[in-house]
Amino acid sequence: MRTDRLGSILVVGGGTAGWMTAAALTKVLGELPGLRIELVESDEIGTVGVGEATIPQINLFNALMEIDEPDFVRATNATYKLGIEFVDWTRIGESYVHPFGFYGLDMAGIEFHHHWLKGKSLGDPAPLGDYSLGVVAGLQGRFAHPRLDQPNSPLSKIAYAFQFDASLYARYLRGIAEANGVVRTEGRIVDVLQNGETGFVEAVTLQDGSRLEADLFIDCSGFRGLLIEQALKSGFEDWSKWLPCDRAFAVPCESSGDMQPLTRATARSAGWQWRIPLQHRTGNGYVYSSEHISDDEAAATLMANLDGAALADPRQLRFTAGHRRKPWIKNVVALGLAGGFLEPLESTSIHLIQSGIARLMTLFPTLSFDEAEIERFNAQTVKEYTDIRDFLVLHYHATERDDSPFWDYCRNLEPPDGLAYKLAMFRRNGRIFREQEELFTETSWLAVMVGQGMEPESYHPAADLLPDEETLRRLAHVRDVIARTAQALPTQDQFLRDNNSASNTSLRRAS
Amino acid sequence: MNSETIRNIVIVGGGTAGWMAAAALSRCLDNGITRITLVESEEIGTIGVGEATIPPLLSYNSMLGINENEFIAATQGTFKLGIEFVDWGGIGQRYIHPFGYFGQALQGIQFHQLWLRERKLRPTPDISAWSMSAVAASMGRFARPGVKAGFPLNQLLYAFHFDASLYARFLRTYAERLGVTRIEGKVADTKLRGQDGHVESVALEDGREIEGDLFIDCSGFRGLLIEQALKTGYDDWSNWLPCNRAVAVPCAYEGPPDPFTRSTAHSAGWQWRIPLQHRMGNGLVYSSDHLSEDQAAELLLKNLEGEPLAEPRHLPFTTGMRRLAWNRNVVALGLSSGFVEPLESTSIHLIQAGIAKLLALFPDRSFNPVERDEYNRQMQEVFHDVRDFIVLHYHATRREDSDFWNHCRTMKIPDSLARKLALWHSKGRVFRDGFELFATPSWVAVMVGQGLTPETYEPAVDALDEQKVAAAMEQMRAAYLEIAQRLPSHGEFIAQIIAQRPAEPELPEFVF
Repeated sequence: MRTDRLGSILVVGGGTAGWMTAAALTKVLGELPGLRIELVESDEIGTVGVGEATIPQINLFNALMEIDEPDFVRATNATYKLGIEFVDWTRIGESYVHPFGFYGLDMAGIEFHHHWLKGKSLGDPAPLGDYSLGVVAGLQGRFAHPRLDQPNSPLSKIAYAFQFDASLYARYLRGIAEANGVVRTEGRIVDVLQNGETGFVEAVTLQDGSRLEADLFIDCSGFRGLLIEQALKSGFEDWSKWLPCDRAFAVPCESSGDMQPLTRATARSAGWQWRIPLQHRTGNGYVYSSEHISDDEAAATLMANLDGAALADPRQLRFTAGHRRKPWIKNVVALGLAGGFLEPLESTSIHLIQSGIARLMTLFPTLSFDEAEIERFNAQTVKEYTDIRDFLVLHYHATERDDSPFWDYCRNLEPPDGLAYKLAMFRRNGRIFREQEELFTETSWLAVMVGQGMEPESYHPAADLLPDEETLRRLAHVRDVIARTAQALPTQDQFLRDNNSASNTSLRRAS
Repeated sequence: MNSETIRNIVIVGGGTAGWMAAAALSRCLDNGITRITLVESEEIGTIGVGEATIPPLLSYNSMLGINENEFIAATQGTFKLGIEFVDWGGIGQRYIHPFGYFGQALQGIQFHQLWLRERKLRPTPDISAWSMSAVAASMGRFARPGVKAGFPLNQLLYAFHFDASLYARFLRTYAERLGVTRIEGKVADTKLRGQDGHVESVALEDGREIEGDLFIDCSGFRGLLIEQALKTGYDDWSNWLPCNRAVAVPCAYEGPPDPFTRSTAHSAGWQWRIPLQHRMGNGLVYSSDHLSEDQAAELLLKNLEGEPLAEPRHLPFTTGMRRLAWNRNVVALGLSSGFVEPLESTSIHLIQAGIAKLLALFPDRSFNPVERDEYNRQMQEVFHDVRDFIVLHYHATRREDSDFWNHCRTMKIPDSLARKLALWHSKGRVFRDGFELFATPSWVAVMVGQGLTPETYEPAVDALDEQKVAAAMEQMRAAYLEIAQRLPSHGEFIAQIIAQRPAEPELPEFVF
C-alpha cells in the first residue's frame, strides 16, 4: 500500500460547490483507509446559489452519486429542462431555442444541418427549430424521458437537464455526504496557517480558536477565494473586456403555473434576464453591466418583468468574469466561484464545479503534490473556462441590436481568437468543429449561430448526394415525425405528477 | 419562528417504527430548522412481526401523501377486510371480525340490538351477513369503495397486509427524500445531561457522537434509551396475557390471496396467517409455560400450507408497556414502548398512534411537562384499550382442552373489561369510551363470535314492528350480497392496480 496517501481533506465552504465536492469525494474515495473528509462552513455566511439551471452533464454526476432521479426531483423542487430559450438577442422581437440533444438526424454521412441549409437554398422556409424535438416539445411545455428502446423515434435522443433550487440541492447533497461520513464543522474561518518554508496550507483557524488541519484543502469559499487568493495570491484573469456584465439582481417570484421545460434568457438594454421555472416558484435575475445601467434602474427593470408576485427583495451580486490564474496551487484546489466566474447564460456554473471535481479525481494527488499534475489540472481548467467564454461571447457579439451603448459595444468588440476562427469556419460552408474536450457540441454552436442570425454562404458539398426532391421529402418527413412525437408527450406538469406523485411538494416550504 | 424550536431530532433504530416516525416527522416538521437523523445498524435485524394492519393506517398514508397503488406494489401488499378467528370460542367454531359496520340503525336503534331480537324470534343468519366487508371477504372479493360510494359499499372498510421490511424500505426512501439523514452505526453509549438528566447525545461504536434535542427510541424490546439509559420501568401484563414467545416463518402458497388475516387458536396460543402477494406469513404465538420452543416450531411447520421459505425465527417478548412512553426528552415508539401480541394487528397502529400524538403534543426545547404528561396519559389509554380487547379473546371461550385455556377462561380480568362484559351480558350494550380504538362493531363481532349471548336486548327495540324490521333487515342483507357479487376478485383487483400505468402513446418513427 502506498505510504504517501493523503490522510485528510478539508472542504472550505458549504454552498453548492462545497457540498457537491464533499458528497462526490466521499462517494468515490470514502472507502480509502485512513482518509478523513471534512467540511467547514458557517451558517452566518449566506451562499450565492445563482445557478439553478443545469446542462445534461449533471446526469453523469447524479449517476456517479447513484442519485435516484424522482427522489432528487422531489427533494429539490426540480423541473426538467430541454434547453434555453433566447429572447430578443438577435433583434428585439425575435427568439430561438438552444436545445440539448440533436437536430433531425444525420443523413448521407454528413450532419443534418447541411441538408437543412440545402433545403433552405431550395426554398424550404422551415426554421431549424422545427427539426429538434427538444425545441418543439419544449415550446409546447412537454417533456418525457429518452426512449432508448425506440431507436427510430426522435425520443431516443432527447437530452435533458434540470432546473432546481440550489439551496435545496446543497441540502440534499449534504444529507448524502453526511450519511457517508463527512464531518461538518460549523464555524467562521479567521486565519489560514501556512508552512513557513513551503507555503503549503497547514490549517485554518476558526473564530472560536479551534484549528482544522488537513493535507488537501478544497477552497469553495466563493468569490473571495479565502485560500486560493487571500492566502496563496493566485491572481485573477479578468475577462470583463469580452464579458462586461459585472452585477446581477436576483429575485424569486410566484410561479405563473407554466412550467415550460426551458430556461429563458431575455436580452435587455444592458445585459439579460433569466427566468427559471421551478415546481414551487420561478427564479429570476438581471445580469447587467454597471457601466451601462444604474443599480436602481436594473432592479426596477427586473421587478417590472416578473410573471408573478415577487417573493423577496431583489438581492444584488457583484462579480468579475474571469478565472483564477492558477486554480490549484500547492495543496489548495479552488472549485466553484473561488475558481472563477462566468455568467450563467448557458447554465454552466454547476457544470464547472462538476468538471473540476472530475478533474481532481483523475489527478488525485499524493502527499508529494506532483507539480506536473497540478499544471495539467490548471491548463485543462483554463481551457474549459476559455471555451465557455467564447461560447458566451458569441451570444453578445453575433447580434444586430444597436438600440443601446451596451449592445453597440458588444457587437463591435474584437472577438477572442478561438471564437473568431469558429465564426469564420461557419460563415463560409456551415462547418462546425468540436475540439477534443470542448463542452458545447456542434448542436449548441449551430443553435446559437443560426439563432443569432448567422447564415453560411453554402453547405457541405456531400449534401448533394441526395437528389433535391429527396432532400425536400426527407426534411418534410423529419418535421412531421417530430411534430407528431411532441404531440404524444405529456406536459411537464403531467409528467411530474406521474413520476413524482408521492408527495405534495408544492406545499413545501421554499427554504 | 419560536427560538425554542427543536433543532435536532435523533431517531435511534430503523425498523418499522423508526422509519414510520422518520417519514411522518419529515413530512410534518419541514420548517427549515428541524433536522432529523436516523441511526440504524444493518447488523441489527428488525422484528417486523406485524404485517397485518387496521384501517386507521389509511389516514397515516394519506397524511404522508402516499399513493396507495405504489405502496401496494412496493410492499408486496394485499388488502384486508378483517380477521377470521378459528377455534377460539370452542374447537370447530369460526367467526370473522370484519372492518366497518353491521347493518344500518333503524330509528336510532343500533343494528346489533335488532339482530339480537330477531335471533330470539326465528332462525337468523350470522351477524356477519350484514357486514359489507365480511360478505366480500367470504367471497374473496375486493375493490376500493371510492369516495362517492353509497350504501352499502360505503360500509366497506379495509386495511393492508404487507411485508414489514419492504414497508420500512419504502418509508426510508420517502423520508430520505424529505431530507432525513440516515447514519449507519451501532449505538454504544448514551450521554445524559447533568442538570436534568436529558439525553444529550448517543455515541456510536466508531466514536461518532450524535447530539439531539429530542430522541425517538425505536430500538425495539431492549429500549436502548428509554430503559437502558433512563430506567423508565415496565408494567408487565403477563398475568392477563400469558403468551410470551412467537415463532415465525413465511411459506409458499397457491393464490389467490384471501382478503383477510386468519388467526387459529391452538392448545397454548394461536397461529397467524397473513397472505401477501408473493408468500404467506405465518407465526405461532404461545406461552412457554405450556409449550416448548421445539414443540412450537414443530406445530407451526406442521400447519403450513406450503413449503417453508426460511428457517423459523423465534421471538421472545413480555406483554406490557413502558411506565412512561415519553420520559424526559426521549419518546419511545414501537416495541421499545410496549408490546401487545398482534392478535388484532395493532402493532403498527400503536406506532402510528404514538406518532400522531407526538405531533399533536410536539414539544419545544423547554419540554413543558404538561405535554409530556398528556402524551403518557393518552398512550396509556390506547395500550389499555388494546390490552382489554385482546384479553376478551382469551377469556370469552368455552375451551377446556388444555391448562392454558383453563387458565385464560377462569383468570381474573381487568376491571375495565369486566365492566364491559357485564353491560353486554345484561342487554347487549356496548359503549365506546373516550378515544377507544375499537368501535362497537368490533366488540360485537368478537363477543357474538366467541359465543357470549346477552340475556336479552335493549327494551327500546320493542317499540319497532317485528315484521317491518324483519323486512328491512332482509333488504339490507340482499344489498350486501348483490354488491359483493359485483366486486372483482381480490387477486384481480391487485393485478389491475399494479398493472395500471399511464397508457403509452404510439411513437412515430423516422422511416427512409
